[in-house]
Amino acid sequence: MSATTFGSGIRRREDPRLITGNASYTDDITLPGMLHAALLRSPYAHARINGIDTAQASEAPGVVAVYTGADTEGDIAPAPCAWLLPDSDLKIAEYHCVAKDTVRYVGDIVAVVVAESRYQAYDALDLIDVDYEPLDAVVEPKKAAADGTPQLHGEIEGNQAFHWTVTGGGDIGEAFSQAEVVVKETIVQQRLIPNAMEPRATLASYIPATGELTVWNTTQNPHIVRFLCSLVIGVPEDRLRVIAPEVGGGFGSKIAVYPADFITIFCSKKLGVPVKWVESRSENYQATTHGRDHVQEIELAATADGKITGLRATVWAGMGAYLSTAAPGIPTILHGLMLSGVYDIPAIHEDVYGLYTNTTPVEAYRGAGRPEATFMVERLVDLLAAKLGLDPVEVRRRNFIPKFDNGHDVVTGLTYDSGNYDGALNKLLGESNYEQLRAEQAEARKNGRYIGLGLSTYVEICGLGPSQVAGAIGFQGGLWESAIVRFHPSGKVHVMIGTSPHGQGEETTFAQIIAGELGVSPDDVKVIHGDTDNTPMGWGTYGSRTTAVGGAALALAARKIRDKAKVIAAHLLEAAVEDMDYDDGKFFVKGSPDSSKTIQDIALMANVAWNMPEGVEAGLEATTFYDPPNFVFPYGAHLAVVEVDPDSGNVDLKRYVAVDDCGPQINPVIVEGQVHGGIVQGIGQALWEEGVYDDDGQLLTGTMLDYALPRADRLPDIEVHSTVTPSPHHPLGVKGIGEAGTIASTAAVYNAVIDALAPLGVEAVNMPLTPERVWRSIQAAQGRN
Amino acid sequence: MEFNSEYEFDAPPEAVFDSLTTPETVAGCLPGCESLEPLGDDRYEAAMTIGVAAIKGRFRGTVAMRDMQRPDSFTLQVDGKGSTGFARGEASIEIAPNGTGSTVAVQSSAKVGGPIARVGQRLLVGTAKMVADKFFACLRKQVEGKPDRS
Repeated sequence: MSATTFGSGIRRREDPRLITGNASYTDDITLPGMLHAALLRSPYAHARINGIDTAQASEAPGVVAVYTGADTEGDIAPAPCAWLLPDSDLKIAEYHCVAKDTVRYVGDIVAVVVAESRYQAYDALDLIDVDYEPLDAVVEPKKAAADGTPQLHGEIEGNQAFHWTVTGGGDIGEAFSQAEVVVKETIVQQRLIPNAMEPRATLASYIPATGELTVWNTTQNPHIVRFLCSLVIGVPEDRLRVIAPEVGGGFGSKIAVYPADFITIFCSKKLGVPVKWVESRSENYQATTHGRDHVQEIELAATADGKITGLRATVWAGMGAYLSTAAPGIPTILHGLMLSGVYDIPAIHEDVYGLYTNTTPVEAYRGAGRPEATFMVERLVDLLAAKLGLDPVEVRRRNFIPKFDNGHDVVTGLTYDSGNYDGALNKLLGESNYEQLRAEQAEARKNGRYIGLGLSTYVEICGLGPSQVAGAIGFQGGLWESAIVRFHPSGKVHVMIGTSPHGQGEETTFAQIIAGELGVSPDDVKVIHGDTDNTPMGWGTYGSRTTAVGGAALALAARKIRDKAKVIAAHLLEAAVEDMDYDDGKFFVKGSPDSSKTIQDIALMANVAWNMPEGVEAGLEATTFYDPPNFVFPYGAHLAVVEVDPDSGNVDLKRYVAVDDCGPQINPVIVEGQVHGGIVQGIGQALWEEGVYDDDGQLLTGTMLDYALPRADRLPDIEVHSTVTPSPHHPLGVKGIGEAGTIASTAAVYNAVIDALAPLGVEAVNMPLTPERVWRSIQAAQGRN
Repeated sequence: MEFNSEYEFDAPPEAVFDSLTTPETVAGCLPGCESLEPLGDDRYEAAMTIGVAAIKGRFRGTVAMRDMQRPDSFTLQVDGKGSTGFARGEASIEIAPNGTGSTVAVQSSAKVGGPIARVGQRLLVGTAKMVADKFFACLRKQVEGKPDRS
């Protein structure tokens, strides 16, 4: 590999167009004759629709059409759920894109107006008269499971979408009955609302004369959108083109194919002209999928010297009013299978109840199931340390899986690829000067100051994943990835990929992979993605899989090119192929590097084909479909240092130190950026963010004034370090890094706050740890109420 | 949303009751009220404009007076909706003699939804109090026949 390109922190080539306003998002695209759609959404969390009067809206200026559920019936199939969790008694409620007779969350779509301008469409929404008959609502997952609560879907008993279990290792009952020590806690993983900078949008253009449909969509996975749209709308895949132009962040909320997307396509088909729908920020809060929303009852069994003997949990996961595209897999497969964490745990059992509630559907949100698992495990380990009077570092060390470099089985059934968990922790302790911090903490306590240190040692599963496993766990698609590498006559390169980056920087890092494999300058490589008409089939960008799976496909395609180039070079140098050598873009006869053919020479010859070896095709191009043999398992150790003001309850995050291991780093600056963003999103859950519904299902946090997103002025300079443990099965050894920060940081910050409050007798506070909640918990612990 | 408050009048309960249950007086004093048309059986069709924070919109709905116990008490049932949301609520109004005057106690609760709930939730009670204060100040002026005291 070229030392100057692979592994260097070159600047992201995406950034100039993004920061100068030259990027083109879905809303920037305007087509001739285009109309605008606006959606009427239910203000009730649960209500029967007794009638809809659209007469006045239809007469409004500029209005071309108004459609209700009755108008779309037969033309739009229910929005599909595509993760059919096996062995879970999964019950999928029909998700009508436009509500038929009942609305089940604030934001459920009731009607659509198509008008000549966006403003006319929105104005006409006010003129639609809907006769609602309000019904009782339920918003909390555990309440939804109780007897006598309102039922969302008559045919689905007890609001239960599924009951999934994971059991592994020894007898869990025995582990607890014979435990010398048991620690327990109830955790609320509050609902989070993703806030991508670009809200969702769809532009659909149906050409009646050809039957061709083009859809521009703010998606993380255009090929999945094409597949599902062909099923739901009935336009065959060969006439359906989906384009993800510039997409301004997703974090999981742009995986799903939404009712709004299908409705926009329906309008274009019906009217025979392009129709665009763009979500308002207010709609984003109500109707773009949310994340988390677990109630977790957890317990850990251990010996008196701190060796873990069992972990048991029951989780009530709120799924929202309907099951979003990938939703059932999030609180189950991506959560329960990770409950061993970085520890040897001999017995694990978890029950997960997925429940319908009168709230916005929940989906993957950065980390997706894994932050909720890491939090449980890291919280329990800290509780065990507190109970035994041990330092949290010591308890972790007594339970770590020892260093391994080619596979380790945990009782949940996964095989971790490689790890050195104690190594990451040791590096963290050194970089943060942990001993010194503990001494400072003790000194501060004497002076009535409450400093806390919080650890999170994590491992996560990403690089989703082997397709055979995808099938076995009910994912209704493959999880392989694809890449095409194409050399043009001048030696410049086009790379076409099936993944769909939207902020992660793969236009830069994938060029670095090609540079490393084939010795070309990254500036000579263009990475093309996001358009189903000119990229190979692929499953998209989520689950930290783009580099971990797509990058592997690319590296293998590049190696195919190298093999073919070597054959052509041997022919041109009149040597035997087995006598050829390669170094940094040059092919030469072994021992004679001065007489060489460059990859550019070969590209020209392959394209003109004047003098090719016998039986070798013209062109220099390769395609790879890469199905990984296993997932990848990045890991690390994080430390948060906080100071809590007991008079105000304010938490001041003083330091944040991270050690992450994602294997060899293609571009360390991009890795650092991913780590920064991930950590901040996890800190947001610990300290500030919470999606709140009142008991009637009204969303009370519907604006940025009410929903507290992290702000730069509340954050310390994040200290980023790394160790490098290659994945044994990946062609480049790399693991994913998109979600690691979020998976680790919520637990680190929470553990730090509880550590700070320990002298005051506070043992638990529900997240987010706002000043009011912290202050009240101090008052309660001090008997002051 | 819950809202409770008390208002004092320098007039006997009968006069206050009559004034509170006369549609013309109510319509004249209620801020933003555009019309209050009788539907019979002490029910009225109302149209009014309400603003909560940045969310201002027109509401249409019905107001019904129930359990009329002159001069002690009655109940108001309100059901309205508009482009900025909906409100359904009930207010119990009790009028008690207080020296030569009377005290009106209002206890109300409402379910509010739509943009006014999502965007204006924190300001709803404050807005309800402002509207009620203005309404009773105006009413007091009419009942007592003299300038506003507040």
